[in-house]
Amino acid sequence: MPYIFIAPNLLLFSLFMLFPLCYAMFISLHDWDLVGDTSFAGLANYSRLVTDPLFWTALRQTLLYAGGAVPASLALGMLAAVGLNQRMPGRIFMRSIFFMPVVVSGVATAVIASWLFNDNYGVINALLERAGLSRVNWLSSPSWALPSLIITTLWLRVGFCMIIYLAALQSIPRTYYEAARIDGASALQQFIHITWPLLRPATFLLLIINVIYSFHVFDLVFVMTGGGPGFSTTVLVQYIFNLAFASSEMGYASAMGIALYALILAFTVLQWLAGRRSEVAMGGG
Amino acid sequence: MSKTGSPPGISRRRTVGALAGAGLSLPIILSPVRGNSQARTEITLAIWGDKGSVTAYENVIAKYKTVRPDVAVKFEVTPFGQYYQQIDTRLAGRQAPDLFRVEFQVVGRYARSRALMDLTPHLPADFGSAFPAAFWQAVNLDGRTFAIPQNTDTLAVFYNVDIFNRLGIRIPAGLAESWSWAEFMDIARLLRARGGVRYSFAMLWQNSQAYRWLPFLYQHGGQLLSNDLKTPEIESAKGIETIAWTQNWFKEGLVPPNTAVKSNEQPQALFANGTLGMYIGGDWQMPYLDQNSPDVRWNATYMPRDVAMASDLGGSCTAVWRETRNPEAVMDFLKFLTSETVQRDFTLDGQFLPVRSALIDGKLAYASRRDARKVFLEQATTVPPHLVQTVVLPSFSRINQRLADQLDLAFTSGQSAELTAKNIGATISTILRT
Repeated sequence: MPYIFIAPNLLLFSLFMLFPLCYAMFISLHDWDLVGDTSFAGLANYSRLVTDPLFWTALRQTLLYAGGAVPASLALGMLAAVGLNQRMPGRIFMRSIFFMPVVVSGVATAVIASWLFNDNYGVINALLERAGLSRVNWLSSPSWALPSLIITTLWLRVGFCMIIYLAALQSIPRTYYEAARIDGASALQQFIHITWPLLRPATFLLLIINVIYSFHVFDLVFVMTGGGPGFSTTVLVQYIFNLAFASSEMGYASAMGIALYALILAFTVLQWLAGRRSEVAMGGG
Repeated sequence: MSKTGSPPGISRRRTVGALAGAGLSLPIILSPVRGNSQARTEITLAIWGDKGSVTAYENVIAKYKTVRPDVAVKFEVTPFGQYYQQIDTRLAGRQAPDLFRVEFQVVGRYARSRALMDLTPHLPADFGSAFPAAFWQAVNLDGRTFAIPQNTDTLAVFYNVDIFNRLGIRIPAGLAESWSWAEFMDIARLLRARGGVRYSFAMLWQNSQAYRWLPFLYQHGGQLLSNDLKTPEIESAKGIETIAWTQNWFKEGLVPPNTAVKSNEQPQALFANGTLGMYIGGDWQMPYLDQNSPDVRWNATYMPRDVAMASDLGGSCTAVWRETRNPEAVMDFLKFLTSETVQRDFTLDGQFLPVRSALIDGKLAYASRRDARKVFLEQATTVPPHLVQTVVLPSFSRINQRLADQLDLAFTSGQSAELTAKNIGATISTILRT
């Protein structure tokens, strides 16, 4: 009986997730230019991956991007949630404003961001000039391109983090705070000793979701920088896309896709283990 | 182990058989049988293109309908950015259009992958003599014809007429008098200093269209590959000097930093809004400039030259999917589409440059910008034959991607010209070996 209930989900999962994954593994063992002949390559695509300096560059840039975007998204999301959890006029309107970018397509956001950051006619540079500051080559300077992408990501992701944190904040019983106040705890102490520990499951969830999002980022990079200047914004999925559709190396692109899958899986398992250990520690205390 | 056509491990027949076995073919069985009296052949044509291109193709299809009312030509337009991804995936899924528009640079890859029908048996032996050798060479691989040239385009220099008049800059009267590299750089510096523009000029090579850099290499007497196309030659002094020359545009601040090879900037927009004094762009952008630069009076002049003149091989041809279900109808339409009379109208409707020798020499009566178009037509004769041989190589799409990566590093990240040439040479060697 239970198999009948899970059958639709299992069918869709197998068709759209499991089969493509297994097929990607299969393709990764071949040389294939998408339109022509295929030939068995064994593990050659995987050994090439290890010695491909661009793969390591793309991995480094992906980690840098994740390292910048994930903590900042979580911190700003939590800040916004704590602020907008207070009674204040226009609270619902402000929550909507923060959340709105989440429901807009990533490509549309990227197009708007590339106009805002444009070196020549972007609003941000116009405002900088009006304020007497010098213009910044946001998307054409190797030093500024990645930070520009991270700023745009924050615009997209802070609202999502805020909503999850808001839900978590509202599930914390008010009695904990009342008891703390009676014991003389300051607002900061209440945050450190009540809010922060009780938000840990939400933080753990957001950490995993945001890390996976960061490892998958493509639309922003594709629209805003095309992976340049140089390789300063070449992240893994951008590199995979170029290999698959610009260089027509589908076998090698699939091998890299499988490597990315393994990387995210390993990261998620590690975080899950760490989260479980910390839950056990909290429960034991 | 080697298979052809379908994705590895999947046979369409097997898939269809499995679906039929699962009962999914029921709607097909139950559908009414069509009568033969109204039998109509449908063929599909896929293109990319702007408004002018779409109009030109629509007009051809409308004319064809009057000649062959029994054949319906289904017309599909895809934005250029996604065009080849869509064609590739449809070829892989064996759902490709019967005919599709394709750039000269890509014919070799599709032909080598056996995605295209060999047109040789369907064409008269002297068919190729109607086209200049460069275009005909570009659609042939190993002596077989895989596409028919449709139109061409090339690069030249657009300039802001008012600024040039004010500064008294000499405009070349003919191709032979085109600016030297030194003159071009002097003009660029003058524009920056006294032209009242933020940047002197920009070059159309964004979105990884690195192959548009090659004309400069040939102008300087260099070439990307050896004469036999088997080894790289970019590491020569000519190659390094050309990289350094173009790199200098960025170093001196003559071009906007965000117009390097991998950027997504639209340089024609910067020329149209007065940010630039010159713009090295293509003839197909003239309608855009007419519509979007009300405050900028512009004209076109020739590409700069060094020891030689050179420009880019642009344009498109029409190819046929190898597995088309209606080869006879498709060939009939293709011959109609590429016949001299239809190509004349097509060229004028789309404001293209012609590829047939008779039309190139025939002084086509364009509705607008005849002077500028004359410049582009003359410039199109300077495309070096070796450049054509290079860009139509089946492996060129991979070479182009690596060229884009390395040139972008030189232009934006300070990578030296020597190291850039060395890296390009190394990566080309690897690609040509595999």
